[in-house]
Amino acid sequence: MTLAPAAKASWSRGRIRTLGLVLLLLLLLGFPQIYPKSYVMGVMCRILLYAILAGSLNIINGYSGQFNIGHAGFFCVGAYSEALFAMKIGMSFWAALPLGGIMAALIGLVVSLPTFKLRGVYLAIVTLGASELIRLVALNWEGLTGGPMGVKGIPAPVLFGLRISKATRYYYIFLFLAVLFFFVTDRVVKSRVGRAWVAIREDEAAARSLGVETARYKAMNFMYGAFWAGIAGAAFAPYFKFISPDMFNLDEGFNILSMVIIGGQGTLAGPAVGAVIVNFLTEVLRPVAQYRMVLYALLIIGMMWLRPQGLVGVSNSILAERKAWRSRRKAAAPGGAAR
Amino acid sequence: MAYYISQLINGICQGSIYALMAIGFSVVMGVVGLVTFTHGEVIMLGAFASYYAFAMFGNHLLVGILASFGASFLIGVVIYKVCYERFFDAPHHISLLCTIGMSMLLKNLAQILFGPNFKPLLEVLPNRFYGVGSVGISLVQLTVIATVISLSLLLFLFFNRTRWGVQLRAVCQDRKAASLMGINVKLTSMLGNCIGCGLGGVAGMLLAIYYQTLIATMGGPAGMKAFSASVLGGMTNVPSAALGGVVLGVVENLGITFTNASFRDVFAFLFLLGVLILRPEGFARKLGNRS
Repeated sequence: MTLAPAAKASWSRGRIRTLGLVLLLLLLLGFPQIYPKSYVMGVMCRILLYAILAGSLNIINGYSGQFNIGHAGFFCVGAYSEALFAMKIGMSFWAALPLGGIMAALIGLVVSLPTFKLRGVYLAIVTLGASELIRLVALNWEGLTGGPMGVKGIPAPVLFGLRISKATRYYYIFLFLAVLFFFVTDRVVKSRVGRAWVAIREDEAAARSLGVETARYKAMNFMYGAFWAGIAGAAFAPYFKFISPDMFNLDEGFNILSMVIIGGQGTLAGPAVGAVIVNFLTEVLRPVAQYRMVLYALLIIGMMWLRPQGLVGVSNSILAERKAWRSRRKAAAPGGAAR
Repeated sequence: MAYYISQLINGICQGSIYALMAIGFSVVMGVVGLVTFTHGEVIMLGAFASYYAFAMFGNHLLVGILASFGASFLIGVVIYKVCYERFFDAPHHISLLCTIGMSMLLKNLAQILFGPNFKPLLEVLPNRFYGVGSVGISLVQLTVIATVISLSLLLFLFFNRTRWGVQLRAVCQDRKAASLMGINVKLTSMLGNCIGCGLGGVAGMLLAIYYQTLIATMGGPAGMKAFSASVLGGMTNVPSAALGGVVLGVVENLGITFTNASFRDVFAFLFLLGVLILRPEGFARKLGNRS
């Protein structure tokens, strides 16, 4: 996160940015009218969905520097909550949507409990284990979730008596959620809470010594990220009409992670860019679908070699250590240190 | 009662496979000092190497061990060059993400090369049982336990009786001091990484023989088990990692006797979460500084 430079310069830059965002929004709003093919609409729906998912992962990984690689678990909780509330109790989509988010946030709170003690890899493996645990519960609790057969025939949402069934109509729901997500998150990361998250990312000990209650802020961070993943899951369930535990396996988690890494960590635009690139590649590579994950893997490795913070990630941060690391290496070179 | 005893034997046998994986993992962790997420894929590749070796040269256990160790050793070189060599001085999450990418790469390449289906691996060893009363132990289980114990002893001798072993332990303790003593730290790290990977590969072969089947996606759960056992042992401590593996195997098998077999991985994960929350340093006295 760059701090605002001189007030005057940021004013004009801010205006240009606002103008660009409004234009982008208008373009996205008008897109179904310009180009109403259902295939393209489906791709756009997925891009918006994954923009929310990758964005919510970026809140955890990019802003507070925790290491969550099991984001598919929260996605799964949201999707299953919405599906089960709608199917078993007959709750409407609009009531089940926030409930899906809240359920995921509660799970997020539980997962964040070990973060008070653990860092780095230990935390990564806890999130990975939690994600698998959630999937295994969904797989084995057949009485509630239908087990490996999944949940079928999830009812479509109804808005003002209008049944939302076509991709074009879902597109507006996803667009609304994505805009809401980016607006709210923009406000949050610029607030005191967001600054606390960034402080934890850059140096946790220093943050604590300056009076940041790291445990509380980390728990909030996890809950906030999980909440939006849950919302994305809850919106995804009726759109896909069918969910099964297989859709939320570790590969799905790595898929979301690769968007964040390729797009860029620690900025709002990064995950959105990543979602566009990865989903675009998915469509381009459809004829050679089995090489798709191979390409993502190569992209992740390439990113780490060349630009660890991602395409549009934060540059003046611990996430983009490469510059400092190179200069340290140069300084070490004349001495001929053994490593 | 006999049922519980045979479950205990199953647990110890499975646990010794986990122990071998965890030994490999801990050697990598200790020598390289960076965490790997590729260990599961290395295990899977070892299993496939032994599968093809058995098909080509006949069913001799030694052939399988050599093939899986050799193949995983070579993969270890690649992993070291791609994921670790450049990143010793960089923040740890960079090499971590690199190993995640590498694991995705290996898994999906394996799915393309070896096909997405289960492959049967039958009759490597004759299907024979030795029993006292109703408690039995199969030849496969005996072989697995014997292989793990003898490889652990070999590793112990290697670490304590050879020049390379001493260098490896020195690098484990302090990279900078080791380099000041004239040890080629880069080469030693690579050797340690490769040995850890090779042991993982042999564990993969044992896993395939034990379950009589192998698949390109077997790496994920296996890697998690290796990690759990290694965490239980304190991450870099090799003997207690082995103990952790056995404990994990026993807990898993006793857990599923009270429920059903589909909860096997649930128990493993709950156990791991419990250990991480209650005692993150595992059996070791203090937390390794590799977090």
